[in-house]
Amino acid sequence: MTTTRTNTGRPHPSWFTRFWAVVRYEMLWNIRKKKFLGLVIVAFALATLIWALPIVSSAATGEPIDADPDFAVTFTIPGIGIFLFALITAMNSISSEFESGTVVPLLTKPVSRTMVFLGKLLATFIIILVTYTILFVYVVIGAFVYGPQNNLHLVPLELFGNILSTFIWIAIILAAGALSKSTIISTLVAFGLFFGLLFAVQIVSVFAGPSPALNYIPGSGASGTIITTQGQINIGAGTDNIGANLINYALYSSANVDFNRTSIEIQGGQPIITQTFAYTEPISLITSRSVATAVVYTIVFLFIAWIAFKWAQILE
Amino acid sequence: MELAIETNGLTKRYGSLTAVNKLNLKVQRNTIHGFLGPNGAGKTTTMKILVGLLRPNEGTVKVLGQEVHGDRNARFFQLFHDQADSRLSIGYMPELPKFPKHLKGSELLDIYGRMYGMTEQERKEQIPKLVELVGLRGRENDYIGKYSKGMQQRIGIAQTLLNNPELVILDEPSLGLDPVGMVEVREIVKEIAKEGRTVFVSSHLLFEVEQICTDVTIINRGTALVSDTLQNVSGMLSGPAMLHVEVAKISKAVVSAVKSLPFVSSVIQTGNTLRIQMMTHEDTRAQVSQEITRSGGIIIAMSQKASNLEEVFIQLISKDQGGKPQ
Repeated sequence: MTTTRTNTGRPHPSWFTRFWAVVRYEMLWNIRKKKFLGLVIVAFALATLIWALPIVSSAATGEPIDADPDFAVTFTIPGIGIFLFALITAMNSISSEFESGTVVPLLTKPVSRTMVFLGKLLATFIIILVTYTILFVYVVIGAFVYGPQNNLHLVPLELFGNILSTFIWIAIILAAGALSKSTIISTLVAFGLFFGLLFAVQIVSVFAGPSPALNYIPGSGASGTIITTQGQINIGAGTDNIGANLINYALYSSANVDFNRTSIEIQGGQPIITQTFAYTEPISLITSRSVATAVVYTIVFLFIAWIAFKWAQILE
Repeated sequence: MELAIETNGLTKRYGSLTAVNKLNLKVQRNTIHGFLGPNGAGKTTTMKILVGLLRPNEGTVKVLGQEVHGDRNARFFQLFHDQADSRLSIGYMPELPKFPKHLKGSELLDIYGRMYGMTEQERKEQIPKLVELVGLRGRENDYIGKYSKGMQQRIGIAQTLLNNPELVILDEPSLGLDPVGMVEVREIVKEIAKEGRTVFVSSHLLFEVEQICTDVTIINRGTALVSDTLQNVSGMLSGPAMLHVEVAKISKAVVSAVKSLPFVSSVIQTGNTLRIQMMTHEDTRAQVSQEITRSGGIIIAMSQKASNLEEVFIQLISKDQGGKPQ
């Protein structure tokens, strides 16, 4: 077997060696960001509050803590948390390289733009995976405040769902950053889309009623309920709730989710809110649809980001 | 022998502005080739095309015998096609380089070294040597965010030499350095070339180019005005001497009077200074002095200069821009 050598006499470096160097470069960047460290601290502080408050409350009132054997398995990162993690890890990834001019020395090294793009993506994935894993382990340990926990083997499913939900927003932010080469623009686009879609879906749900079409939009989607032996469970059918829906599907695979239309009437000067049945869908459909929608959005926006990054001319 | 850099008809346009215009550039191997031009002449654009950061609109580019297209290859469907390998033998330092502030100097060199496929042993040997060479010893473990502009320039030079490149491309390496740093950079460039490398360096400091380069290309408005050995370029104006006269109360009458002297070829006025091109080797300072005084000028200083790179540069650029030898 012969080893190819470069003009400098050094053995030709493998694709993986160079790719991993990019991953290291990006990971060091990400984990040293003050914004990222701040968000992690806030996330852990909130998680601590969730299980520390009952202890404090119990100590103050002398009442025993109510048992909740499903606390750990039903814990999920809320939509805004998912969005913020995506924003903080991805907002500087491409656009800031252009803004600061660091893209120039980087792209004149023997690493292709595809390699740089994939390296940044993998570094982001590793950081999200590690952060979420530590957060979930922390919450699971804390959940024992509420007594013994059921179905802990399903927690990785929740973790996977949360990562998938996060990657839709990461893909959107990377695409906006690669196209605009501006952190401010990509951040504004991301905020605009997240809150715009959130409010739009809520307004449409209230005035026109819930519709399966709303679940094809990144975000919270339409809201419904399932009735279980444990009682009523609220279901968000959108891509922000993949983790929770995977758990619900695993626990109640044959359940149907009922979606209700909310109407407000004024009677005698008083607003009367009534809910009428709109439609029903099996939990399996809702879960598979949100996963498929997330995968499609992620692939499409990552493809746009990759093409934009690959074709960008470095004028800076 | 194969050229280190060769461009033919290289053209780069930004909208209606043509930054590089049918540039034919040939850089011989094992030379220090200076790339001179006024601001906006197209030097940085050309260098960025050479390393694949920009795509030319027209023309061909070969670096170390390999054709450079920029990363968007003409073949659309070959999306994974890339020219990363061609950069294994090239070291490039951009003008006023910027590096990630969150990395320490030594970390930056280590990561870039990994991108070149350097082993841990190679990095351990090479990085301290380079840190020493560029005068950053003791500061290599500081975050780059704490580096001064001059220190960033120094780490920029170090990362250029990490992989012992065959070709080193330096865009204004002395920019932002103090006088001591500038001297050090000149010494480093000479040292690099001694090891059999080709150095292609752009600079606006003519004396610097004159001190370190063996070859030179002068570019203006994206076109090469001259490209040859430094000796040949500097000798372009050999022959008649040049007289520099600094005059107070300079007027058209003074210029006309000097121009009317039978041994004067041309007169270029730059501020208070007259650059007088002679048709003779004789010492004519007395006659020139007499003529200037007679026409109302007051001579502050006068010197007879042999032609050098600066003279050639000014003459070529002046002519190309429709300058007015009066």
